Amino acid sequence: MDSIRPDVLDFYVSLGTKVIDESHDQDTTDLDKCILFIRDSTLNQESCRLQILATGALGGRFDHEAGNLNVLYRYPDTRIILLSDDCLIQLLPKTHRHEIRIQPSLQGPHCGLIPIGAPSAKTTTTGLQWDLNDTEMRFGGLISTSNMVKGEKITVESDSDLLWTISIKKQDSTRP
Amino acid sequence: MEVMSHSSSFLLPADEASAKRYALIVLNQNLPRFTPLLWEHVLEIIAKLRLCADGGANRIYDELPLFFPREDALLIRNRYKPDVIKGDMDSIRPDVLHFYLSLGTKVIDESHDQDTTDLDKCILFIRDSPLNQESSKLQILATGALGGRFDHEAGNLNVLYRYPDTKITLLSDDCLIQLLPKIHRHEIHIQPSLLGPHCGLIPIGAPSAKTTTTGLQWDLTDTEMRFGGLVSTSNLVKGEKITVESDSDLLWTISIKKQDPNKTLRS
Repeated sequence: MDSIRPDVLDFYVSLGTKVIDESHDQDTTDLDKCILFIRDSTLNQESCRLQILATGALGGRFDHEAGNLNVLYRYPDTRIILLSDDCLIQLLPKTHRHEIRIQPSLQGPHCGLIPIGAPSAKTTTTGLQWDLNDTEMRFGGLISTSNMVKGEKITVESDSDLLWTISIKKQDSTRP
Repeated sequence: MEVMSHSSSFLLPADEASAKRYALIVLNQNLPRFTPLLWEHVLEIIAKLRLCADGGANRIYDELPLFFPREDALLIRNRYKPDVIKGDMDSIRPDVLHFYLSLGTKVIDESHDQDTTDLDKCILFIRDSPLNQESSKLQILATGALGGRFDHEAGNLNVLYRYPDTKITLLSDDCLIQLLPKIHRHEIHIQPSLLGPHCGLIPIGAPSAKTTTTGLQWDLTDTEMRFGGLVSTSNLVKGEKITVESDSDLLWTISIKKQDPNKTLRS
């Protein structure tokens, strides 16, 4: 509660919004606290279908952004999507083969696969302009950026956790 | 292990006595509010290397006059003229291109080379420049590398890892980022009036088995850091000198204080 303005707080309290003050816990970030809340308040059957959408996790201070990206790695069993005006980011855990379905009218074509935490010895994809074939990716070498999606389905298989990112098209996507 | 020293004197008023030599690259995002100060730093020094990567030229043209609302826009545009515009030329507006061409800016069209990013192209240009010598290397300042599309940002962070022998600082309104190569012990000197206190050490690319620091609120002592575990974020600097030693390449980031450093230009 160190950023919320008093007038804003009073307004939402008066509307019935539940306010949980966690200022005593300085060890976790705001995003962490919210994710734990969501996980704790859903039943087991619900939580595996629940996807968490988060806005405002990117940009600004880079240490904040890195901490928020780390949240994706620290909760690999929870589906979390980070969203900005320009793009979305999701974790692709190495334990699964991934099928990504996109809406070409809303997303793409710019995309990337980023081995943020550790190098990948072998990644294979389909559906990209520059597909990978058991390709090594690492910081200091090749990482897949400024790639493009070719259709509506992308598959990814890797020996390492990767961040998938795809651009969001500049249109009024709130219109149906 | 040899010590590598870091300072952020480019955020101080340009000073002829400064021994540092800078090159500036402007990429295609909103200009940080201290861009005129960075520009002046490069102006004061013999090596006049201010590059715009493609769409960065639009930013200089459109946004620099906004920092000087009481002055004539055309005068500002003439004063803050890039030395070079380089890139694949798919973002720069024709009117902006013609304007700077008429002022004598060198334009290097690299649209044939689709394998490297705009930032890459600019860094190679600076490295190959006769103004960049072994005896006194240029430090590269780049704005507009962060924010926007995340794949762009990741590609720009990767540039730091791919040129570990070149001092490159990525700058935004909120923070700066530098690579701390594992082969050196690092001493980071900060100006507390301009930088901090928020900072972090990020093991992008690979985990670190052991990192040791001094000068931070939460110092590390042979501490392991990795994505999925502990990463040093929301840390605080305690004084004016931070030291870092690690078995892995790390990104150092520190916040930039919200004041108008351009004010010092006017004194």
